[in-house]
Amino acid sequence: MRVLEIKDIYKSFDDLRVLNGISLNVDEGEVVAVIGPSGGGKSTLLRCATTLETIDKGSIKIGGIELDYKNRKSLAEIRGKFGLVFQSFNLFPHYSVRRNITEALVSVHKKSREEANKICDNLLQKMGLSDKGDSYPCNLSGGQQQRVSIARALATSPDILFFDEPTSALDPELTAGVLNVIRELAEEKMTMVIVTHEMSFARDVADRIIFMDGGIIVEEGPAKDLINNPQNDRTKAFLAGYSD
Amino acid sequence: MDQEQILSMINQLWEGFEFSVGIFAFTILFSIPLGLLISKGRMSKNRALSAVFRFYISVMRGTPLMLQLLLVYFGPYYLFGVTTGNIEIGPFNYRFIASIIGFSLNYAAYFAEIFRGGIQSMPRGQYEAAQVLGFTRIQTYFKIILPQVFKRVLPSVTNEVITLVKDTSLAQVLAVTEMFTVAKNLASAQVSVIPFIAAGIFYYMFNLLVEVVMGRIEKSMSYYS
Repeated sequence: MRVLEIKDIYKSFDDLRVLNGISLNVDEGEVVAVIGPSGGGKSTLLRCATTLETIDKGSIKIGGIELDYKNRKSLAEIRGKFGLVFQSFNLFPHYSVRRNITEALVSVHKKSREEANKICDNLLQKMGLSDKGDSYPCNLSGGQQQRVSIARALATSPDILFFDEPTSALDPELTAGVLNVIRELAEEKMTMVIVTHEMSFARDVADRIIFMDGGIIVEEGPAKDLINNPQNDRTKAFLAGYSD
Repeated sequence: MDQEQILSMINQLWEGFEFSVGIFAFTILFSIPLGLLISKGRMSKNRALSAVFRFYISVMRGTPLMLQLLLVYFGPYYLFGVTTGNIEIGPFNYRFIASIIGFSLNYAAYFAEIFRGGIQSMPRGQYEAAQVLGFTRIQTYFKIILPQVFKRVLPSVTNEVITLVKDTSLAQVLAVTEMFTVAKNLASAQVSVIPFIAAGIFYYMFNLLVEVVMGRIEKSMSYYS
């Protein structure tokens, strides 16, 4: 089943063309990593797919729902179909870890507190944070905060999870915990699109890698092939900059 | 001054003090929500609307509060021929009501700017996280943004609240028998400075209480940063 269907999208900021005709399909259970130089359009692609930016042209479908900015109901519906993990976590600092995870379940998805708490407990356990439910984000390490935000994104059982450079804001020694969680999700066949600079992680975890530069998809293919044996010159030059 | 005179003075000041506290409490009650609305208008994407509120804030901050009080009190009669002498709401006559309207309109302008500063200091990521989680705009505003803004603006709000306690003395221009009016009358009747000193102590005690209460509120929100 196709979970994400992006068809020929364009996006400009004033005179700056950031996305120049991007098409991308992601099937259920597939893990796609998006790599490429800064300013190449990776994050914008993710922001467009998650309704944070409007597209100028093209179409986006998530979980069978067509993205239509003018239709409030379909917007609300499509937001229930995906989860997004931000580079800078964006947890709600005034809420406890538990409330961060359960609030959308209760006030958006109209679940009971009990039900939401049950979901929360399971997720916290999975993230190795069972004892942190009553903590506040400011008392957690960056790695723990990012795992909470993954739990928050997973709480509504989305069809697909988007990650925007999930480890870029973390100290190097804290990235492993977050990457392990994502790896586990991949093993459970969670559908994911991950924008990342961690090349070896992308090679090991992703099924497919997309290399983006200049607002287009320059090269895409099975993860190991693309990393070990890139075809395009720009991909080669980019990967040469990473020694790992 | 003998003991009896002092007791009577304190008694009279206390009666005036009740009016001062009344003006204070009603002004806080009305000016904070009004300030929130004005800050929303000031931040509106609609340029005309935003300009209207910017002008309002500019005038309210740029002219004397005493003059605004006089305008609210005399305006209805001189501008529209409406007599206000017989207007009463419960136990409150128009002098008292006019002073509350004047204070609220003025303080709302200051609060609006404080709230605007707080709201605009919120990182965009908070809005974005709320949006992708499916919160409506109203939910985002009341559940995510406002509680955090409240914590951020509290020190500035405390400043305004303390100023307001002292500003209630301006209601004397409308002959509201608040504490300062009482103190002035007592001072001239007794040819003594003691009523002023006593009034000063009242104001200071009140503000001490304000500081303690605001400090408590601040502390109650210190569980996160």
